[in-house]
Amino acid sequence: MTASNDIGALAAMMFARALESALLTRADCGFQLLSSGQEAVAVGLAAALLPHDQLLCSGRSIAPALARGLDPGLVMAELIGRAAGPCLGRGGRGHLSQPSAGFFGAHAVVAGNLSIAAGVALALQARRDGSIAACLFGDGACGAGALHETMNIAALWRLPLLLVCDNNLYSVSTPRAAALAPRQLSDLATPFGIKACTVDGMDVRVVREAAVALTDHVRNGGGPAFLECISRRFASHSTSARETRGKKELAADRELDPIKRLENALLAEGTLSAQTVEALREEVRAKVMAACAFAEASPLPVPEEAFADVG
Amino acid sequence: MSAEPVRMRRVFFREAICRAVRETLDADPNAIVMGQDVGAFGGSYREFSGLFERFGPARVRDTPVAEAAMVGLGIGAAAAGLRPLVSITYMDFVLLALDPLVNYAAKARFKTGGQIRVPLVVKLTAGAKGQGVAHSQSFESWLMSVPGLRVVAPSNVANAYGLMRSALQADGPVVYVDHKRLFPTSGPLDDSAPEVPFGMATVSRPGRHATVIAHSYMVSVALAASGVLAATGIDCEVIDLRSLAPLDLATVCTSVSKTGALLTLEEGQVACGIGAEIACQVQARLGPVRVSRLGAVPAPVSSNSVLEAASLPDAARVAEAVRRLLRTPEIPPPHRG
Repeated sequence: MTASNDIGALAAMMFARALESALLTRADCGFQLLSSGQEAVAVGLAAALLPHDQLLCSGRSIAPALARGLDPGLVMAELIGRAAGPCLGRGGRGHLSQPSAGFFGAHAVVAGNLSIAAGVALALQARRDGSIAACLFGDGACGAGALHETMNIAALWRLPLLLVCDNNLYSVSTPRAAALAPRQLSDLATPFGIKACTVDGMDVRVVREAAVALTDHVRNGGGPAFLECISRRFASHSTSARETRGKKELAADRELDPIKRLENALLAEGTLSAQTVEALREEVRAKVMAACAFAEASPLPVPEEAFADVG
Repeated sequence: MSAEPVRMRRVFFREAICRAVRETLDADPNAIVMGQDVGAFGGSYREFSGLFERFGPARVRDTPVAEAAMVGLGIGAAAAGLRPLVSITYMDFVLLALDPLVNYAAKARFKTGGQIRVPLVVKLTAGAKGQGVAHSQSFESWLMSVPGLRVVAPSNVANAYGLMRSALQADGPVVYVDHKRLFPTSGPLDDSAPEVPFGMATVSRPGRHATVIAHSYMVSVALAASGVLAATGIDCEVIDLRSLAPLDLATVCTSVSKTGALLTLEEGQVACGIGAEIACQVQARLGPVRVSRLGAVPAPVSSNSVLEAASLPDAARVAEAVRRLLRTPEIPPPHRG
């Protein structure tokens, strides 16, 4: 599956959704932040990245990791704390990471990965090979000083950094309008001379087009860029957070489902047939089952691991 | 063929730091320096003098006044292949950068199962020298309680050089704490001065009656107090910890086994301080010994010279603390059968 084409993007979004659903059926799924509803942002962004780029993200990491191409079995193992995970089961969803696969990874402190990503961009800039760092964060991070500090330095030093705000309109229960003053969050980048735009984050083709344009700008030495994607999350903030939105709002959000939206568009355009959709679903089901089976077969870490790799 | 004679020079504290950093930047093309005024200005204490001219603005980078981002960038750059030294002029301002330092740098190797390492040095200048409540603090004990951070604090020219060389070769984050009152000091440093490994304290003055442990500027205060006490027949052993995390308990315990009395001395707060940690660990190893702690009084440190002097340990207070410690009844060593 490659997200650079529409069917690949559809399959990637379906896969992230299905893997999360499978995760939730497990009694041991633990504390998770789901990407459900926001798959188009992760998949559209990942389509614009090249193998030697690095992606960093917030604790809402499942769709970003899968979209970046991490092995789903390894991801599932990490999510349920198994030793076969890339972080040996120590990082979990909040700190999922595999730099060798271009996924520097998640950091679960809101806004905590922004300056780290700029540092990664500084190291990539020194390599002079055109590689870039992309950092995916929520609207909650836009209220933190870290974003201001990071944009200032990134603009001054023309760092190869793409900042992507996945604005799902809520910080846990607080609506975006009650937390952030700017009219659009991409407006935050304007005073720094950072190229910025806001797009519909529920349309993967729109996200991909914007991400490609901005990664080109960053890759070609134009300095940092800022992409705001307006999205909707279908689940509550986390598996342990109460849902505060009403049924009407949630139903309206569901109408914007990026998977159905692309599927319907491709069917209408004639580039996808009902049979192909069914075949994709079957392929996704099989891959999810294989990922779960792989994770299930991996042991939990031994207690001595609590003291390993410190510092 | 005769061996080249080793050249011994007398250098200032700042020159020892500068030499260690310069040698590292010469040898390692991935090494960089970042911080406020580290560029053409040469550092607030001139400890980076000449580096900007030698290595240029890409490797010796002035930053905006943004400690959190400076440290965060240093961490990200270190994790992705560079070897940065991030300089923060006043240790007080590391508080702004504790999130990336504690939540990312100290955890990265562990949380990624060893995939990410953060070979970063954060250089902080601690201590009081007339600059007031928010520019005078010594927080070393806070940092040494964070698993994953190494914390070192030189007391003299040789340690300043040797610890910086080691810090710039470490494979994880190191906090290097120097001190405002050490910058005007000088000392001998030969051309082949050694690196100082972490976790190795040193005996700065041998003695028989009491052990005084200290680090950074307080080592010289302890030595001055020992001079005063020697005139009255009290012979102190002064231990320079040099490395706070990891701690060299063995050297401390060897000394305390001999003297039977321990005074811990630090410029920071006594509560939850370095002395509290060492006193507890020493007694866990040796059994009960006479122990006393000396540090700053539990109050902010004023820029007013009278108030600053009243709040911090000096040689007279250290000498008095040792006398008081030695007046307490001796605790017999535990019976060993």
